[in-house]
Amino acid sequence: MTGQESKARRVQRCFVWATALLFSWGSVAPQATATTLKELIEGAKKEGVLHGQWGGNSYGGAEGFPEIIAGMNKRYNLNLKGQFTPGPDMQRLMLRVIQENAAGQPGSTDVYLGNSQAIFDGLKSDTLKPMTFDKFIENIPKPEGNFGAIAPKGTHVAFASTMVGLLYNTNLVKGADVPRRINDVLNPKWKGKIASTPYAAGLREFATPDFLGREKMIEFTKKLSKQIAGLMRCGESERITSGEFLMLAFTCGGNDVNVMKRSGAPLAHTVMEEGTVVHTRYAAVPKNSRSPNAGALLINYLMTAEGQELLWKYDGLDLHLFPGSQTKRELDAVRAAKGKIIISSPEWLASYKDYSKTQKELEAILREGGK
Amino acid sequence: MWSGRGQFSSALLSLVLLPMIVIAILVAVMFWVSFQKGAFGTPSAVYTLANYREVFSDPFVYRVAANTLIFTATATFVALLFGLPIAWLAERTTIAGKTLIYAIMTLGLLIPGIYTAMGWTLIAHPRIGILNRWLIDLFALTDSPINIATPIGMGFVQGLSLSALAFILTAQMFRAMNPSLEEAARVHGMGYGKILRRVTLPLAMPGILAAVIYILTIGIATFDIPAILGLGNRVYMLSTFIYLKVHPQGAGLPEYGITGVVGVFMILVAGLLTLWYGQVLRQGHRFEVVTGKGYKPTLIPLGGWSVLAWGLIFVYAFMSKILPLLLIAYAAMTPYFVPPSWAMMSQLSLTHFYTLNWELVLRGLTNTAILVTVVPLAVVLLGFTISWLIVRSRNRARYALEFGAFLPHALPEVILAIGALLFALFVLGTTIPLYGSVWIIAIVYIVARLAFATRALNGSLLQIHRELEEAAFVAGLSHVKTAWRVLFPLIRPTLFSVWIWTALLVYRELTVAVFLTVQDNITLPAVIWSYWYGGIINKASAVTLVMTLVLTPLILAFWWFGRRSQVSVN
Repeated sequence: MTGQESKARRVQRCFVWATALLFSWGSVAPQATATTLKELIEGAKKEGVLHGQWGGNSYGGAEGFPEIIAGMNKRYNLNLKGQFTPGPDMQRLMLRVIQENAAGQPGSTDVYLGNSQAIFDGLKSDTLKPMTFDKFIENIPKPEGNFGAIAPKGTHVAFASTMVGLLYNTNLVKGADVPRRINDVLNPKWKGKIASTPYAAGLREFATPDFLGREKMIEFTKKLSKQIAGLMRCGESERITSGEFLMLAFTCGGNDVNVMKRSGAPLAHTVMEEGTVVHTRYAAVPKNSRSPNAGALLINYLMTAEGQELLWKYDGLDLHLFPGSQTKRELDAVRAAKGKIIISSPEWLASYKDYSKTQKELEAILREGGK
Repeated sequence: MWSGRGQFSSALLSLVLLPMIVIAILVAVMFWVSFQKGAFGTPSAVYTLANYREVFSDPFVYRVAANTLIFTATATFVALLFGLPIAWLAERTTIAGKTLIYAIMTLGLLIPGIYTAMGWTLIAHPRIGILNRWLIDLFALTDSPINIATPIGMGFVQGLSLSALAFILTAQMFRAMNPSLEEAARVHGMGYGKILRRVTLPLAMPGILAAVIYILTIGIATFDIPAILGLGNRVYMLSTFIYLKVHPQGAGLPEYGITGVVGVFMILVAGLLTLWYGQVLRQGHRFEVVTGKGYKPTLIPLGGWSVLAWGLIFVYAFMSKILPLLLIAYAAMTPYFVPPSWAMMSQLSLTHFYTLNWELVLRGLTNTAILVTVVPLAVVLLGFTISWLIVRSRNRARYALEFGAFLPHALPEVILAIGALLFALFVLGTTIPLYGSVWIIAIVYIVARLAFATRALNGSLLQIHRELEEAAFVAGLSHVKTAWRVLFPLIRPTLFSVWIWTALLVYRELTVAVFLTVQDNITLPAVIWSYWYGGIINKASAVTLVMTLVLTPLILAFWWFGRRSQVSVN
């Protein structure tokens, strides 16, 4: 290390210490969290307010949140006030909460709801509060293989799931034209008419050794990148209904199609014959939550039959581990067709050290047109 | 009362020191982060030049820069193509319905750029564009002839959006123009065309140049239209490049360092533009057109040309305002978004209005109301003070002031917002709890809008001859009284313009709000964006419609009052 560098590091260290001292004065005080449902309810009563933030189209967004709060108030005899602000996508919101926690600021949301990738980021940065979920969650489903709803260290809970596939406009893509296998989307007839996601949804999971492998998917993505007309985010299904793109290869799940089809939108979602990845939705309480008890109570509520029904109503998903789950029915159909199924969880992501690197590589290929 | 001009200048300097400190901090944060790599604000971050190497060695960045250049040049050309002639028509001719012209130009500001972009997607998108379909049918083409998702296409849409700004920046200059030179030319037998070319335009040149510089810098920094039309079609501009670096779409941490490098580059561009603008200012005395003697503008009779003039205004209004507004109304009432058709008309309903989360909308409205009340007042006060110091004082600090006031304009608002965010989070922390409050947004808005205020007020002050103030001093008036009784009445239309335009820009401003909104401080445009970003176009449209309808009568009233006030001044 050169003298200049070490000086720069000393300055950096001084700044960090000074900042840490500054933050320690008046920073978010860690709040005691209950261990039983009764204590949780009492704690939530004292907190009085629950701030929620996630994507505007996730879990009912601004319209679904008041209904969740009303359901909680009725079920637990509370008078909790809810304040919802639509936020960025799942990974960006987690990055924001991580940043706020590092700066000693209260979190943007008192309870985090998002995907396994974001939870993985939250775990790496030690932002999630370990809780005794197994002590107070009323309706814990049976694990399936080694996949259980509650994380062993009590940092997060799986509360919903949906399957990766292909989204298409049923007025513009019909019958035998609908892609059945992954390579079908490379058919020249779709050139310049279809979309993919900027974050390589589906592709990043297909690139794991459990599925098709990295090399194969890099090659595929290069071809796909030349085939697509553009990029859209999951949840922007109206760009498919409008005909701007004929299909999305591939999705984060078919849940929004379940909701939009109810109003007659010309949309359908199909799982590829090779199989699918189950995108799990997780809930966690950030360490800088202003109302950790109310946040944990919301997680408990989402795991009840009532909560699962609300999730299906507003976001077209529920947790496949529950016997009556609608997602389970969809998943059983894939199983019956002998398609491969992988469940995406933070633990599964952690088992691949190059997962993030591969995702970045795929994103760059998609962004730059396969050049 | 201050005894001398120097003492008075010093007192004013201390007033404008605060926004200058804020600007200096935001710029310093940019420099600071540009030398850092790793997780910002944590010990893992290291000081390095790697960000500079990365930016300047990446061919992708050069493609982005080329796109930005084409986009900006197109946007500036289109903005002046509509804005300049409409301003001239409104201020220098006898065209009827001037209040309506002002209302048309102003109302457009309420329509978020995302809707103009969306409207043009439906017109000129290769697959769903109505115009493309029509041209394909008419000429039996195999491919769509127009693609809006190109740097030129996006520049055209941005230009339509910026025409209103070009209009307001040049209208006040035409308004205050001394007609005696034009009359002299007419006496000597020059036709209107020749007078326009040889007298009016040269007189207006500093104002036009200022507008060009101003619009150029907006073009470089603008975010919403490139985001809507470009991101999805993989056409990137500097602003969307920064956005992607700060908001990684999938894996990875925000690369603030790269943003910092681009910010530093923008500061250099701002420096060059300010030097250029400074040269225009130094020659400003040649263009003083309002003097103490015989200031009475006369208007050019349009006669039958009025029809053609209104034709131009209508074409502009249709393309940039009516179409997006119709689209918003349609989108707010459809169950899901598809191109307009008779079949969809039967499915229109008000469901999205009933099911809105009104607590969220009202929270957004309250914060926006606070910003619209506080920011324009602060901007007018500080802007006038800075402009007076720049144009009238001989204080050496005026060059620094000029540069400082112009700088935020050249920096993309994304960068100002990131600077404020990092400073509030990692430096102020909980000691001064700005993070998550509406005041952090207000501060950034104030400094960001100072450039607009000082541009407009510099121009107006330049056009007022010093002899008026000197006469007031001779009559024994203090500096404050001179400003209040001589300068303010003469530049009241400009002050009014700055106030209302700042209010409108604040009312619709999105970029800063998106970066700084947390929970309690969400603004109405941020509510719209969050619905839009979440893919809920119908609800975003419903809120936009509410936002536009609520403010339309107020704007009309303001302009009616403004024009009456101007008439009384004249």
